Amino acid sequence: MTARPPALAQLPQVLLGPAWARLESIQPEVEGISTFWLRFEDEELASTYRFQAGQFNMLYLPGYGESAISISSDPAVPDRLGHTIRFVGNVTRAFNRLRPGDLVGVRGPFGSTWPIDQLPGQDVILATGGIGLAPLRPVVYRLLAERHKYGRIVLLYGARTPGDLLYTSEFDAWQQAGIETVVSVDRADETWQGHVGVVPMLFYRLRVDPEKTWILSCGPEIMMRFVVYEALARRIAPERIFLSLERNMKCGQGFCGHCQLGPLFICKQGPVFDYQTLEPYLQVEDF
Amino acid sequence: MSKEDPAVRARLAEIPWFMELEQSHFDRLLSIASLRQVEAGERIFSESDEQDNLYILARGRVAIELHVPSRGRVRLATVEPLEVFGWSSVTPVVRLRTASASAVLPSELIAFPADRLRAACDADPTLGYVVMRRLANVIAARLMVTRLQLLDIFAHPSEGPTS
Amino acid sequence: MTVRTGDAFVIQKSSLDDLLGQLRQAGYETYGPRVDRGAIVYRPIASTADLPRGYSTEQKPGSFRLAQTGSRRLFDATPGADSWKPMLFPARQSLFEVTPSNGDLQLTFDQTEPTRRALIGVRACELAAIEVQDRVFLRPDFSDPGYRQRRENLFLVAVDCHDPAATCFCHAMGTGPAVRDGFDLALSELGDEFLVRVGSQAGASMIGDLQATPATAFHHQAAATATERAIRSQVRTIDTTDLPALLLSALDSPRWDQVGDRCLNCTSCTLVCPTCFCWDVVDTSDLATGRTERVRLWDSCFNPDHSYHAGGGLVRPTVRARYRQWLTHKLGSWVEQFGVSGCVGCGRCITWCPAGIDITEEVAALRQEAGE
Repeated sequence: MTARPPALAQLPQVLLGPAWARLESIQPEVEGISTFWLRFEDEELASTYRFQAGQFNMLYLPGYGESAISISSDPAVPDRLGHTIRFVGNVTRAFNRLRPGDLVGVRGPFGSTWPIDQLPGQDVILATGGIGLAPLRPVVYRLLAERHKYGRIVLLYGARTPGDLLYTSEFDAWQQAGIETVVSVDRADETWQGHVGVVPMLFYRLRVDPEKTWILSCGPEIMMRFVVYEALARRIAPERIFLSLERNMKCGQGFCGHCQLGPLFICKQGPVFDYQTLEPYLQVEDF
Repeated sequence: MSKEDPAVRARLAEIPWFMELEQSHFDRLLSIASLRQVEAGERIFSESDEQDNLYILARGRVAIELHVPSRGRVRLATVEPLEVFGWSSVTPVVRLRTASASAVLPSELIAFPADRLRAACDADPTLGYVVMRRLANVIAARLMVTRLQLLDIFAHPSEGPTS
Repeated sequence: MTVRTGDAFVIQKSSLDDLLGQLRQAGYETYGPRVDRGAIVYRPIASTADLPRGYSTEQKPGSFRLAQTGSRRLFDATPGADSWKPMLFPARQSLFEVTPSNGDLQLTFDQTEPTRRALIGVRACELAAIEVQDRVFLRPDFSDPGYRQRRENLFLVAVDCHDPAATCFCHAMGTGPAVRDGFDLALSELGDEFLVRVGSQAGASMIGDLQATPATAFHHQAAATATERAIRSQVRTIDTTDLPALLLSALDSPRWDQVGDRCLNCTSCTLVCPTCFCWDVVDTSDLATGRTERVRLWDSCFNPDHSYHAGGGLVRPTVRARYRQWLTHKLGSWVEQFGVSGCVGCGRCITWCPAGIDITEEVAALRQEAGE
């Protein structure tokens, strides 16, 4: 044993091999996106696994590879994990060919979490678009579980067309339970009677109290940039604006080097960040 | 010249920008304003109409649409309460409507006849400046929204080698 | 004789072969520098006859040449493209295999016993690089199991650098040329003798049977003088004052366009760098058996796909952007991430860049721009 490093025996192993989970069901959401419901094969893991809103798992299909997928289900029901997946690359398209009963490798949970414990007594705006609602849905469930603890809760959600809106079957229930649900699309069809425009625009009709409003945002980076712009214009402090970022991830634990944004590892210090932390790096082109 | 309508005054009082105006400017604008009720589905103005009014939406929702050959009526954007629309009637260069507007929900509009609004601005350059500055903000915000829609940020990205 | 950590001895040069023999008897494979086709490479060595006796190197941006000095010195040739990194972090490593069996999937990890390896002639910059990699792969919150195993089975025989190359700037980076700590044994080549410092219990146990006499003040002085000369001979320098802050405030500098034009995006710098740690994973399948293997490979931030993700495309689509990432990470962000600079001043990236790009020059240019 050489002079350094010390205490190797005590360091926990990094998670490089997956645990197997059975695909219980596939829930088609919109075109090109489905939610995959997984349950760990190992009983103990199934009953002890916990995650917090904002975290993700690395899902593995042998022979294809891994994909970092946010957990989109209720943290209070952790024995069945929902992962909403958009089929855009080799691995995710392979998911589209799975059938219930197939095995999926899972490593996780990884990443930072939405600041739910700072929200009691505060007004919360969830500003999201497209599949960005997936990592925020756990927040909705958490907030609704104790609705009385929070102030005003507004969901601003946009997608390309009405057919691309996720989880629409839950909107009524959320509205009833006390979340002001405001939806818009970029392009309307003949049936759409709602807003047409972009998510940042939905801020225009909101009266916010900058002292007690928190913004939680997830979606295309350019959408989030404009959400930040609108939030700052309404004098909401950067420490109360939270974004969830996405980068190329291989290890999920901050040592393969791929997901870096400046000194930040998106998989480790993120994917959820407050804007104050991101500010020096987010607006730099091609960084 | 319309006599002052207390209903119009009440609506204008809900709009923050109006409440910040100098009294003389407020009165001048109030004197040319009128209220109009429209039903859901009612056409407010059409493309290539000669411009008639500048509108502020007091209640309801209005859709801005364009007729595109082989696509029919395409809804470009929606207008929310307190937003200005039909501003092309007031801008100096554009003389015809560039889009049509229809009510999506039963709506209440505050209408300002364009010719009288222009005349008021010409007569009082300070009022003109204040109004144009406000319209510049309105158009800028609309431009930003349009740009983001143009970017099609939710479109499916091109294929690639990794997950 | 009882030997303790911190002790210093003198051995005859010929005794180095005895040390190698002892290491091999203790089960270590011995590795060291060798001359091979005009370069210095790290390969297994059997005896001191395999070392680059009488060689030194002439290095400059984009150029590496061996020179024969005619001396009997064994360790004057400063490192070539090879670093010791593959000993701890292999370029290719199987992570696990998945085999379908009865509707289930069997996961098997590589169970090969790790080999004990003794590295002979590790320079101060290379020790510093190992320490940097330790901070990446062995962290308070987790460790890479493969790295940990290899690290535990490593024996380090360091050597003071007395003849730095023109591309070396370890002194400016505070990592050398003299070896300070992190070794099991440290050698300083003095004429026909070696001054040997004991750095650990393991090192102490290797000294025991050697013909060694306690080191005198004379020997320590000779080693110190050689180090002084080595420091003075380093021509390259870098001002590291507030370097992370400087780099992160210069992200829009036109200098990046300039260097981006020269850079060939060949990834040589990341390949030869002893601290670069980016890695990729690939999954391969055997159609006959249905078995799949997950393999870890070295990657480079210069690889265009490095920043590609399906949701957002290529984050760094230009060479300019990728060069900027490499340099600002190595000398800037790294400090915040790991508490030390990612650069140890070995100069490999300067020597082995076919375009002759010199990071000390790039930093100086950015600093001058900022000072204007």
